Amino acid sequence: MQNPTMVISSTAAQSQVQDDRPGECHSQSALYNLLGRILEEELDYEMLRLLKGDLRLPLEAMGVELGAEFDSVSESLLLDQLAEEFTGLLVAPGCISPYLSVFETGALFREPCDRVHSAYQQAGWDYQRHHSGEFPDHVGTMLGFVGVLYGMEGKALETGDNLTADDLSVQRSTFTTELLGPWAPGWCRRASEAAFHPFYQQMLALTEQLLWSELATLVDRRKFRELSDLNRREPSKLDYNADFRKASGI
Amino acid sequence: MSNFTSISRRDFIKLGSAAGAVGAFGFGGRRLVAMEQKLGGQDFSATSGGERQSVPYTCLACNIEDGGVAYVENGRVVKLEGNMDHPNTRGKLCAKGNSGFLHIYDPDRIMTPLLRTGKRGEGKWKRISYDEATSLLAKKLREVIDRANAEDKPEILNEIVLKWGRNRTGGACERFMHALGSNSTIHHTDICEASKKVGLEPSWGPDIESCDWANTKYILNFGSNVLETAYFMNPNSQRLVDGVVGNKAKLVSFDVRMSNTSSFADEWFAPFPGTDGAIALAMAHVIMHEDLYDKDFVRDWTNVTAEQLKEHLKTYTPEFAEEESGVPAKDIRRIAREFATTKPATTFSYRGPVKHVYGTYQEAAIHMLNVITGNVEKKGGYCLPRGMGWPQPEPEPPKGKAPSLLASPPEYPLASHHVSTLAPYRLKKGEARVSVWMSFYDNPVYTYPSSHVWKEVLQDENLIPFFVSFSPFMSETTENADLIIPDVTYLERHDPESMPSGLYPCMSIRQPVVKPLGGTQEFRQTLIDVIHKVDPDGTLGIKKYFAFDSVEDWMRAHFDEIPGLKEQGGYDFLKKKGVWPIYGKVDPDTAKIVDRNGNEVEPDYALHEKQLSQSQMEGAEIDEQGTIRKDGKAIGVQINGKNYVGFGTPSKKIELYKENFKKYGFNPLPVYKRLPSRDKKDNEMVLSTYKVNVHTQSRTASIKYLAELYHKNPAWINSKSAAARGIKDGELIRVTSKLGYIVTQAHVTEGIRPDVIAISTACGHSSYGRLSQLKVKEQAPVWSQGGGDVDIANNVWWDDKGVHPNPIIQLAVDPIGGSQGWFDTVVTVSKAEPGDSYGDVKASVEASVKDYEETLRYAYTGDLHRKNHKEVDIEWDHLPPASLHGHG
Repeated sequence: MQNPTMVISSTAAQSQVQDDRPGECHSQSALYNLLGRILEEELDYEMLRLLKGDLRLPLEAMGVELGAEFDSVSESLLLDQLAEEFTGLLVAPGCISPYLSVFETGALFREPCDRVHSAYQQAGWDYQRHHSGEFPDHVGTMLGFVGVLYGMEGKALETGDNLTADDLSVQRSTFTTELLGPWAPGWCRRASEAAFHPFYQQMLALTEQLLWSELATLVDRRKFRELSDLNRREPSKLDYNADFRKASGI
Repeated sequence: MSNFTSISRRDFIKLGSAAGAVGAFGFGGRRLVAMEQKLGGQDFSATSGGERQSVPYTCLACNIEDGGVAYVENGRVVKLEGNMDHPNTRGKLCAKGNSGFLHIYDPDRIMTPLLRTGKRGEGKWKRISYDEATSLLAKKLREVIDRANAEDKPEILNEIVLKWGRNRTGGACERFMHALGSNSTIHHTDICEASKKVGLEPSWGPDIESCDWANTKYILNFGSNVLETAYFMNPNSQRLVDGVVGNKAKLVSFDVRMSNTSSFADEWFAPFPGTDGAIALAMAHVIMHEDLYDKDFVRDWTNVTAEQLKEHLKTYTPEFAEEESGVPAKDIRRIAREFATTKPATTFSYRGPVKHVYGTYQEAAIHMLNVITGNVEKKGGYCLPRGMGWPQPEPEPPKGKAPSLLASPPEYPLASHHVSTLAPYRLKKGEARVSVWMSFYDNPVYTYPSSHVWKEVLQDENLIPFFVSFSPFMSETTENADLIIPDVTYLERHDPESMPSGLYPCMSIRQPVVKPLGGTQEFRQTLIDVIHKVDPDGTLGIKKYFAFDSVEDWMRAHFDEIPGLKEQGGYDFLKKKGVWPIYGKVDPDTAKIVDRNGNEVEPDYALHEKQLSQSQMEGAEIDEQGTIRKDGKAIGVQINGKNYVGFGTPSKKIELYKENFKKYGFNPLPVYKRLPSRDKKDNEMVLSTYKVNVHTQSRTASIKYLAELYHKNPAWINSKSAAARGIKDGELIRVTSKLGYIVTQAHVTEGIRPDVIAISTACGHSSYGRLSQLKVKEQAPVWSQGGGDVDIANNVWWDDKGVHPNPIIQLAVDPIGGSQGWFDTVVTVSKAEPGDSYGDVKASVEASVKDYEETLRYAYTGDLHRKNHKEVDIEWDHLPPASLHGHG
């Protein structure tokens, strides 16, 4: 893990022994949903106004400075600038590919994508793309899924359905540890470094810290060190899975 | 009981030897059989053991269109192999074809339409939907149509340009452009084999030969690397090996470089570039003057007499050819005799002879060798190509009303396959105007001579106000677009196909073997959407040409009514089998196509000798030359009282004498023209380029399996030439033409002429993805490259992406066939200078524009034309005026 520019601590673990666990779950849900949404697609007017309005102070409290640009240029121009940055950073060829499958295998839509999709389905969710070229293992969608699980967990707790809540907690924990943990924090760091626009630089750094803090509550020190090492990995460029190569005839 | 304890190992060995001597090797477990892989058609998961779904398709990794089968597991392509039902490729794919599925999952693939937000080429984009993208393109096209209609000027519609580099859409591009009323569809064929086509078509009809390699006894190869590249590489290389190894055929190869084909040959000669025609003419001289020619064939099937040919060839002696080519006269004479007296025999030629100014003449001269020896359409000989056609859906749009200057330059009336290389210069000089430029499977900023000129023009918004690319990859050309509407890869799309890649005519289908990845959209659907938006209510009269409910609907219109195929299921049959007709099976021992009894299914020969039926002859007339005409159209030729279908020429004979050439002041018979490169200075060299077996020109450099095999392209230089310049193997060199220079590495070898330097294509990309650009090394340690050990982390162990030679290759147009003279650039080669770095490229646009002006002087309208054709007896002051011709 690199030197953090911002540090946030998760309340997830503490919440287990606190009275307001449902509230904490909803809080975490909102945060994951927010960051997932920001990374999943370009900002729109509604999102921009939310960031400039209700979320501005809470973000500033976390050390996120939206900057004067958010007030000095017109919303349409700002959205265009952010869309251009988003496309260059996360969509167009040469981008920091936001897909687990690309990170792990060097190719789009490989087996890791199936694992992610399967996790969605096990929780009763499915995947529907909005734009061509999108896949279930997009980091933004995966963060959003954690948000969904947190939300469901919170609701279950509110209704006193502790069994369901525990089951959802296990699903969330497993998903975060096994499917996000080995790559997403490191990916966020690299993407943050590659971003030109301060908004994405900060949001990616924030996401990295959120994930680390979450992971710290979910795994022991030994596993955490293991994940830390895994996140130092560079993404694979090419699939050199033995079966894949064999299948190609080479 | 015997005590065996004293038996030694040696005793056992003795017993074993004795048992072996009586044939005991044949005993053993009789239930055991050798494991044998099924010959195609089935595949199983290595992990689950489950059978994989197999889907036939037609390859488009390059232009050979081999038959393939994709194996799909969990919705992903996991393996490709040849389709055993394809009679010409016989279950084999090349390395490019085997690796093709990597295109689908390439992380650098363009997966969504992109709209430019920065300056052209700056790399700034905004993601938009297919709907938004097709609406924008439709709006731009509609503006041009409305202007043309308002001003009542159909020529304005030619400002809509579609430039393609590989069009295997079965007529979709043409339908689209004609529906829009434009004839400005610009091909790429002139950077490929246009002059070969123009050298052959007027003589016997079609554009290429299909040699019966497997049954021949003698092969003359002119400038083709059959075993690695060239037209129909996979099927041709299979049959060439069948012929040379299986049938003991002799192979003689002429190539400036010792290619893998030349190294496979019995004899290799390295002529001076552009002198193959002189050698072929000298061989023809020997064959004619020593009366080794086929008298009957020349008399009956050509439009010349033996005496006429002897007179024409009189000056083309082997000694003359030796002077021009450097190939010894005694060898030319000997090979000519061998070729004429060994039956059957054939020639094959490709880029080497034709990629020169006057390349058309060279092709015609080589073709003539087969004609005068009577090897045409013989078993084991030089055969016509065999392809099949399909109907276009009705109604079919008519061609545009006005001819296009960009598509059919008036100075090149014989160049029936266009002269696309001129386009950027026409625009720069204001000779043509463009409103919308569309690019399909095309990358001229990388693949064209003086490629830097294309980049400058495509980046100029005054010259090209709106530029759309349909490429699924960010090529050197596509990165300059205003809008990208990405097509899918060839394994996710539909096309009808038929390639004359062997002696069995067939048609095949390209169909999605998996759904277009990530919701991407195939080009054919984009065309439908755009037309429906250009003419939403049908009032323009355009929409009716694209009245397809779906892409499948369009494909059915091609396939469902073809006699023979229709009865077997039409489109549904092709979806299942991939190819039609099924001639038989591939014999696992001989690799021949055999019927159910194991007998070889022989292809048809002597196609020109098929006789016309009585009903065909009804009402027909026969002229003095024997040409049979019906309803004003030549349908055959009468020879010795028999009515044959003949060849695809006006006389239905082979027209070695081309009247149409003479009309424009070109020699009607094959001749040799000495090129300026032949008069280079002693210290200069000729730059030659070549393709390699694992790459296309530009589309495969990012494919890992192929890039690992071939990724750098040092310049081949003869050891004597290198020593004379103080250059050692591996050292940096400067290769300088009139346009500028490149800095590359030397590969010192004996396998090339001393006055030629050769650099392969396919390397040195500045775009096309992280692997082709080798960002892995250049930008380490950024995120995408890995900061650790790249060998371990990325399995990319190489750090050299090569240097592309095209920026320093001069524009030079064959005034007849229109081909680019790829091998006519004269260069100097020296050690790199202080400050030079590997990969440096410097090229002048101004100098390239001068080349444009210079090459026009060779056109029939140019001042050098008459000077170069003094022998042609024609009224030079009354050549036809240059005028716009052709329609789309």
